[in-house]
Amino acid sequence: MRQDAKAAQRADVAKAAAAATPRPLTFWEQYRRKSQGMVGLAIVAVYVIVAVFAPWIAPYNPKDDLYLADASAAPVWMSKLSAKFRDCPPTIRLKLGFDEWNQEELGAATISPFDDGEGSGIQLSYPATEPRESEAEEDFSFSFVGNAHWNPWASSSPEEPSDQVPDEEISTESGASAQEVVLSHVMQYNYKSPNTFSTQFDYSIDAPDTAETSISVELVTPNGEAYEVWDRTLSGSADSESAIIDARDFDLKMKLGLSFFGEPSQVLFVDRGDYTIRLRMSSISPDGPVTVKISPVAFGVLGMVHGVLGVDHMGSDIWSQLIYGTRIALAIGLSTAFIAVAIGTTVGIVAGYVGGAVDEFLMRVADVLLAIPELPILIILGALFGKSVLNIVVLLALLSWMGIARLVRSQTLSLKERQFVEASRASGAPQSYVMLHHILPNVMPLIFANLVLRIPGAILAEASLSFLGLGDPRVCTWGRILQNAKEFGAFTTMAWWWLVPPGLALTFMSLAFVFIGNSVNEILNPRYRERS
Amino acid sequence: MGFRSYLLRRLGYAVIVLLVILTLNFILFRVMPGDPEKMIIDPNFKQEAKAALRKQYGLDDPPMVQYKNYMLALLRFDLGLSFNTQRPVWDELKERLPNTITLFLVTFISTAAVGISLGVYSAANRGRFAERFVVGAGLFAHAVPGFFVQLMLLLLFGYYWPILPIHGTMSAPPPDGALAQFLDRAWHIILPAGSNLVMGFGSWALYTRNTMLEALGQDYILTARAKGLPKRDVLYHHALRSVLPPIVTLIFMSLPGAVSGAVITESIFSWFGVGRYLLDATLQMDYPAAQGAFYLIALAVIISNLAADIAYGLVDPRIRVGAGGTK
Repeated sequence: MRQDAKAAQRADVAKAAAAATPRPLTFWEQYRRKSQGMVGLAIVAVYVIVAVFAPWIAPYNPKDDLYLADASAAPVWMSKLSAKFRDCPPTIRLKLGFDEWNQEELGAATISPFDDGEGSGIQLSYPATEPRESEAEEDFSFSFVGNAHWNPWASSSPEEPSDQVPDEEISTESGASAQEVVLSHVMQYNYKSPNTFSTQFDYSIDAPDTAETSISVELVTPNGEAYEVWDRTLSGSADSESAIIDARDFDLKMKLGLSFFGEPSQVLFVDRGDYTIRLRMSSISPDGPVTVKISPVAFGVLGMVHGVLGVDHMGSDIWSQLIYGTRIALAIGLSTAFIAVAIGTTVGIVAGYVGGAVDEFLMRVADVLLAIPELPILIILGALFGKSVLNIVVLLALLSWMGIARLVRSQTLSLKERQFVEASRASGAPQSYVMLHHILPNVMPLIFANLVLRIPGAILAEASLSFLGLGDPRVCTWGRILQNAKEFGAFTTMAWWWLVPPGLALTFMSLAFVFIGNSVNEILNPRYRERS
Repeated sequence: MGFRSYLLRRLGYAVIVLLVILTLNFILFRVMPGDPEKMIIDPNFKQEAKAALRKQYGLDDPPMVQYKNYMLALLRFDLGLSFNTQRPVWDELKERLPNTITLFLVTFISTAAVGISLGVYSAANRGRFAERFVVGAGLFAHAVPGFFVQLMLLLLFGYYWPILPIHGTMSAPPPDGALAQFLDRAWHIILPAGSNLVMGFGSWALYTRNTMLEALGQDYILTARAKGLPKRDVLYHHALRSVLPPIVTLIFMSLPGAVSGAVITESIFSWFGVGRYLLDATLQMDYPAAQGAFYLIALAVIISNLAADIAYGLVDPRIRVGAGGTK
């Protein structure tokens, strides 16, 4: 009991003493007053949040989501700002399954959706046709040749292009032996002609060997002109064949009567309005029924405008690259600075405290490394050890510890003469103990400020390396975005949205760390303000 | 310690650094992926032909003999043949060296002139716009990636307002007449040198201002002012003279950085120089070329470091006279 009372009394006395003498300001209380430091901290906080939540902020994964739009597509908002991009199409991707198709003509065939384990789509069943006469085959080959170029019968009245074409085509074939199915899908297209478009679907045919099945794809423009863009005639069965129609393919250019350098989209997508995609299938099968399965038809126009910042040459979203770049920039900056400071502190303390030949040797090593031009040796070593983030971090750290080592050494030299260090030494403390428990805590403020100030240097150095093409090809850093922009024509197309954001991101990040480092330095190391 | 011994010490030190770099160069390019044998010798060659070539290139010699031969060859500037062009690397470097030196000198003189005079001016006019401008420019130079500024300037003046050439050291074909050629080259150098100026003057100005302010706070300045000397005289005769040594050191200390910057500048503006040569050679794994370019750059850096030391010794009375000095 008495002891308790004594303890309470002591506590009261301590409290009174604390109240009497003004408490020294904590670090945070001092830091809070530096407006520069707070701005820097706020910027870094934003970057950290962006880095942590990158997968949720970025709409795409920059590495995996390629061909999101046409190469070097502009941002969406540019279509409002600049006449050059007015009415440019965004990326259009249609997946036309059973429900999307309008059944224009069925004939004797039946149509139904199917969904087996492997996929879904449209299933067509033809009954067996009447036995053909001998001329049928000849007729059929005629119609095949006739279809090889764009259909001359198709350019009929715009009101009802759907009815006339199949009628005439059927009439050219032998009697009633061909059973044609016509499916159509109408879509709106109110943009300029795109650079490319593509259509793709898979089909399987289950038919007796004597059956002849033909499939073709037609595109009808708003003013009624119909162009056949793909056709195929197969005998017998076929299993999972693919139909690929791409504006860049020479086959399509030939079909449209264009030269090698012609642009199919300049022929097909000239007008604005309702375009019709028409799928025609016909089958002549004397020996049994025919079943045709067609997967949903993928129709795509690669957009000329896309997303917040457009896409790069590979069709990867630049906005997402920028978001993910935050992660790698922070990681590289922090880890490089940390390793460099760790090496520099160790070398500085050991050199300063141990002194003698060790000091001489370590400082000469530092001098030599300082004399080696940094970027050239990084270029060569980077090429030597391979382009990976880890290598770049290690190399940058190994080439940037010397300044800190010098600073820490000079601080250690003065600390070494202080009385508390001498007392510790006199009481028999081993060297390692003194260095770890007396010197290190006292150089800590210096180290901390330098750690922060070292970060922007590391980030900028990595960005320079990436920009020169020596960065890790597997990660997208801001330097690499800039390199891609320079290499793949951002200049000739004036694609400033590709160049400016990564540069600004780099600038603000290094500015923020410089702000924080300067503020920390002013508080912790008022004497070293001018030097670091 | 007198000036002579100071000089000898620095000279010996430069030689050591040179030796270290040369040795590094020797080792690095022998452990690089794709050893020289595979690069020179076609795998389809017969065994005897391979052996003859190995002998000719001295690849069979023990490492120490190879090292000695390599050192001797470097002293004669015999840098071997480029894998790409099959021409002597030294010849290729000699073509590029004048361009690099020109770009460097123009950049350097303009940056130093603008930076130092701005720094002095802002120190003399504290609290005015000039001072804020200098502090801002110093921060800008520190935080903004140089290549980004260069890309922006290229985009603006090369493409948006196409008033300056976007690449190269001169027009092809060059215009007739010496004056026209000179003007053509000057026209081409504006963008690379100008972007370096924009990037670089800030840190110079800030450094000059800071050392000037430190000097202006000293007692002897007060004494000079107190005995009635005009402000201008004090500023330019007393203060500036005392900050000259650190500034001269800075001039030479900035040379290695300028060499590093040359690689980026030359690759952005397609400048036909040594820095770009190093980068291209490294990317194309043309090791003799990369080695030669690196050797030349390292040599330039060492010489400029030595020059910095000598200049520092000449302007710093403590070393020149040999009194005191802790170094």
